Amino acid sequence: MAKNWWKILAVLIVIYTIIAGFLLPVPRLDILNETIRNLYFHVPIWFAMLFLMGVSVYQSIMYLGSNKIKKDIIAVETANVGIVFSVLGILTGMLWARYTWGTWWTTDTKLNGVAITFLIYTAYFILRSSIEDEQKKARISAIYNIFAFVMMIVFVMILPRMSASLHPGNGGNPAFGKFDLDNTMRMVFYPACIAWIMIGCWVAQLRVRMGILTKKIIYDETV
Amino acid sequence: MNFTHFILLLKKEFDIEFRQKTALNGIVLFVLSTVFVSYLAFQNIIAPHVWNALFWVILLFGAIITASKSFLNEQKGRMLYNYFVYSPREVILSKIFYNSILLTAVSFLTLFLFSVFIGNVVQSLGTFSLVLFLTSFGFSSILTLMAGISIKAGGSFTLTAILSFPLTFPLLLVAIKVSKLAIDGIAFSVCIQYLLVLLLLNTIVSVLSYVLFPYLWHD
Amino acid sequence: MMKLFRNILTCILLVVGTLTMHAQAPAGNVQMADGFYAEGKIYVVIGVVAIVFIGLAVYLFMIERKVKKLEEALKEKK
Repeated sequence: MAKNWWKILAVLIVIYTIIAGFLLPVPRLDILNETIRNLYFHVPIWFAMLFLMGVSVYQSIMYLGSNKIKKDIIAVETANVGIVFSVLGILTGMLWARYTWGTWWTTDTKLNGVAITFLIYTAYFILRSSIEDEQKKARISAIYNIFAFVMMIVFVMILPRMSASLHPGNGGNPAFGKFDLDNTMRMVFYPACIAWIMIGCWVAQLRVRMGILTKKIIYDETV
Repeated sequence: MNFTHFILLLKKEFDIEFRQKTALNGIVLFVLSTVFVSYLAFQNIIAPHVWNALFWVILLFGAIITASKSFLNEQKGRMLYNYFVYSPREVILSKIFYNSILLTAVSFLTLFLFSVFIGNVVQSLGTFSLVLFLTSFGFSSILTLMAGISIKAGGSFTLTAILSFPLTFPLLLVAIKVSKLAIDGIAFSVCIQYLLVLLLLNTIVSVLSYVLFPYLWHD
Repeated sequence: MMKLFRNILTCILLVVGTLTMHAQAPAGNVQMADGFYAEGKIYVVIGVVAIVFIGLAVYLFMIERKVKKLEEALKEKK
């Protein structure tokens, strides 16, 4: 139990963000109305996804340096959880967009970036499934993972700054910038991000442990 | 990294290409037929933004077809000898440069065929050519590494396409934007910031390919 | 397994169906069940939370399937 304190903490914080997120007062903004509360539920998912992808690419780099298959397992499982989070982010974002921007999908650079991210990591899993040999699979997919991560960062961080976006902080939209994101919202938003990152790590950790067990049971290999 | 080795390898690539003409014939035929199909479909009435989109779609597919052939000889084990003599860095650099020269040729050929069949809508050709040079180099950096990856992974053309499509999008989007500006004849001082972003992306992808390729090649 | 997927699919379709029905509600001064627009769009937030939870639940089921496979493999080994 001693090692699991952070999981309990994560769950407690998520419970806190759900209760506080629905009950605490929020700024009254036109169009957004109460949906500003989605900041506590939609945005942290993205932070968790970016964090998981970051862990994944870090492990891929470590794999190329060490050839330890455990690194590869961590890399692929964090990417797996990351892709699930990205799907959740897309779905929740689409719902939010429908009732504020008026459509499920628009040509917003951030939306495009997300679609690209999804395509990139799907390609990553297709690549993995097309290689038989384990070390070879780990090495080649690590290379692709590093390349893909850099391009994803380029797409979601650099390109949106080049053009107007509907998302807050771009092109004069009603933003949650330093003026609008008041202190009450901060008290829920930051813990929510940390908690969802921890939840993501928890699921990833479970999957990694399963992966190691799979290697042991099915392939008789100790990792 | 040895410069004479690099030149030697580059020369070898060209020699093989001119002997076999595997990539060249295929790509010329591809560009010719797609441009002709678009000519038949659009019959000279084509808006600049459609022209732009069509141009880049054809170029993207052309680039993938060209680059997917770049490790054909290695796959058959013909040039295995090279890899005992030359370092992987020399190999990837020579392949990237070879492919980017080929792609530049292909993109100008596409531009030429477009002007012949569909008409030339580009107002500032200088900027447009610059975009073509930059994207050719960027595409070849991405696609050469991806072709290498898919060859190592058992290599089908589909895999190359799946792997490289999403990675080319950042480059492609900026290229489409700036070439639209070039088509509309917007002043160079406006285009320059997009060209710089293009240059930045080129640097990123070529450095990545250069750094990552040795890990791919050492078995 | 297929059954599970079909059930999940039906649930998703139902949810999406209700959402689009709300979306197509005609504007007017008549009292309508504009659901998601009502009360400051708070239902959108509820929908978002629900999607996150449903997504995680589906993911959990998929993970469970994997664990079951592992258990079977272990049993066969013994």
